Amino acid sequence: MQSRPGWLKLAAALVALALVAAACGRDDDDGGTGDATDATDDAAGDAADDAADDAAGDDGEGGAPAEAPGFDGETITLGVITPVTGPVALIGEPLTNGNRVYVDYVNAELGGVAGRYQIELVEVDSEYNPTVAVQQYNAIKDDVTLFAQVLGTPSVNAVLEQLERDNVVASPASLDSFWVREQNLLPIGAPYQIQAINALSWYLTDGGGEGQTICTAIQNDPYGQAGQQGVDFAAGELGFEVATTATFNATDEDYTAQVSQLQGAGCEAVFLVSTPTPTNGMLSEAASREYAPQWIGQSPSWLGLFALSPLAPYLQANFLLVGEGPVWGDTSVPGMAQMLAHVEAYAPEQVPDTYFTFGYAQAWSVVQVLEKAVELGDLSRDGIVAAMNSLDELAFDDLFGAYQWGRPEDRDPPRASTIFSVDPAAPTGLATRITAMESDAARAFDFED
Amino acid sequence: MFRTRNPAMVVRYDDDLRLFRSRPAKAGVVAFGLVWLLVPLNLTDYPLLVLSYAGAAAIGAIGLNLLTGYTGQVSLGHAFFTGAGAYACAYLGAERGLPIGVWLPAAAAIGCLMGAAIAPFALRLRGNYLVIITLGLVLLGEHLFKNWDSVTGGGNGTSTTGALGVLDTNEFSLFGSAYTREQGFFWLIWAVVAVGALLAKNIVRSRPGRAMQAVRDRDLAAEVIGVSQARYKIGAFVVSSGYAAVGGALYAVLQGRLDPTQFGLVLGIQFVAIVIVGGLGTIFGSILGAIVLGSLPRVIEALTRDNDLPFVSGDRGGPEGYLTVASLNKSLYGVIIIAFLIAEPRGLAGLWLRIRTWFKTWPFSY
Repeated sequence: MQSRPGWLKLAAALVALALVAAACGRDDDDGGTGDATDATDDAAGDAADDAADDAAGDDGEGGAPAEAPGFDGETITLGVITPVTGPVALIGEPLTNGNRVYVDYVNAELGGVAGRYQIELVEVDSEYNPTVAVQQYNAIKDDVTLFAQVLGTPSVNAVLEQLERDNVVASPASLDSFWVREQNLLPIGAPYQIQAINALSWYLTDGGGEGQTICTAIQNDPYGQAGQQGVDFAAGELGFEVATTATFNATDEDYTAQVSQLQGAGCEAVFLVSTPTPTNGMLSEAASREYAPQWIGQSPSWLGLFALSPLAPYLQANFLLVGEGPVWGDTSVPGMAQMLAHVEAYAPEQVPDTYFTFGYAQAWSVVQVLEKAVELGDLSRDGIVAAMNSLDELAFDDLFGAYQWGRPEDRDPPRASTIFSVDPAAPTGLATRITAMESDAARAFDFED
Repeated sequence: MFRTRNPAMVVRYDDDLRLFRSRPAKAGVVAFGLVWLLVPLNLTDYPLLVLSYAGAAAIGAIGLNLLTGYTGQVSLGHAFFTGAGAYACAYLGAERGLPIGVWLPAAAAIGCLMGAAIAPFALRLRGNYLVIITLGLVLLGEHLFKNWDSVTGGGNGTSTTGALGVLDTNEFSLFGSAYTREQGFFWLIWAVVAVGALLAKNIVRSRPGRAMQAVRDRDLAAEVIGVSQARYKIGAFVVSSGYAAVGGALYAVLQGRLDPTQFGLVLGIQFVAIVIVGGLGTIFGSILGAIVLGSLPRVIEALTRDNDLPFVSGDRGGPEGYLTVASLNKSLYGVIIIAFLIAEPRGLAGLWLRIRTWFKTWPFSY
């Protein structure tokens, strides 16, 4: 008795196998892998500068860069890994819009990078999930010159080792201080530690908080620890003690325990390292108990909508925010005036948003690196790293603080912060209390690697 | 005379228990082996990476299917055991520098032990109450992963680089040819999937498997006919957690860095979704479910990016489409899960069984 269906199945399996074997050639990938390995070798040999010299020598200074991953001779493609679904999309959307508006401006008004090369963004959704971020990184890494945005500390951490292996550059949308010395990262802005140090230095002197009991409330993650590190450093420099530290998770629903802890310790000022959702929960709880210390929030604690919520009067009386740069709409700052003009031209529907400002400055820094790379005549992965190493400064016309740039060991982030108070009438709900505030303690903070 | 009989013909009880019942089944095993060998040589790194993640999920899903599909104990706690295995890999493999021959079995052992600690609850509670217990386990686990700094790195997470040594580099050479990291991972992970699936198949086709199914169908009746509930419920938890830990350990080396938020409730629900879509009570279905649910979002993305669908805006959100690629992706994912539950409750494995039966009874298929 012959089992015909069985043979049919075997035949089908073999045909499928043959199709798999024939359909996709492994060859087309070998180029990319080879490049990546060469790049890693070069980086390991600390030969980034040599690579730049070689490239300049081969093509002639200022000659047209050769084709490279993400560069076809005319268009430079940049990757964006950002959450556009899930709760953090609230940050990802405006931030990416900031990237887009600056890129639109460069393409339309400057004719592209160096007046010649148009920029294109490839955006992928990370869902704020490190597993997805790694897969998305691999999905597009061979098609991009560099990553103009990777949002969130967990996602940056997850791709960091691969960035080093592939020698690809990425700009983190996150202000952690341990990015400063990474060869493959292009951070902007004053790190969280600097914000915390400046805020407390100011509050304990000019801010009127002298002699008060200082406490912290931090999110239980690397971001929270970065803020706490800044506060602890300020405590050492300025000679105060942190009375208590309340911790919470970004997804917590109930803040009774934390507010009780702060109230019980007699805290008169609380430095809050938080994201918008916990800020809302914690401050609502405090307001309902009529507990009113001076809250000082780290920049990501804020959401413009707070100024329109029922909590606004409490916030106006008791909340300060530490951030960077001018307030939205302050056209006396050239960088802000330029950004507002571009918003008007390329994204008129964009509502005032501090994350948009960050994204705009981020794309600005990326374009500065690309300009340098084109000048050196090399848009390859090695060329981008070499261009980063040979830049002296990343400047944003005071929209963000100038970042002293160069080789990783020479990089030095801006040290100035802005203190905002809540003003429901202002565009992002914030008014400037004091700007370009740079404390001695912040200047003393050392970014060891 | 029996010796020349077609192996597909079942005449004795023993025939029913055979691992590979028919010639086509044996040929299928050989074909799968060939596919396993050849796929990394023919696909680019990116799909290999996605398939490797699916493989790690498949190992965990096989474990959950033993527990939920065969023994009837629904658990959301699989994420906790996965995390335990992942951190075991990070601590033993990366921090202590032990070889994979040590940390992979050690991860399995840790998973089994934790499973054994949880299992007694299953004797007291069943159904929805057990689900809530395992939900508590996930929350406890998340707290542990976030705060046990010396082992898990706390909220910062920890790196697993170095656990695999030479395999975990961009390129490694084997017998004189160079292979990429993704190729190596595919071979490693899917080899473990094969071993795991074989072990699981052996469990479910033999005495413990029948006992587990008896417990699932009516635990009181099983006890009355002499099946020890304690033994098989605890056993199922132990084995299932071991699988989860092995899957977690392999996920850990593949990902390169662990973040404590990865092992939360969402992962626990995803595992349940994988075994339901794959097919409850089938080993093959767990693997199919993991491949389909694991790679579907990436496939949808690739398709929508390369082909301009009229109602979908491309990489850049904008007024030209109602949906973005990401929102289309999320919606389709949900629709597929709902469609499966309504149209084919036996899951992907049920679909496959239907196709197989059609061919088996051909030309008398109805």
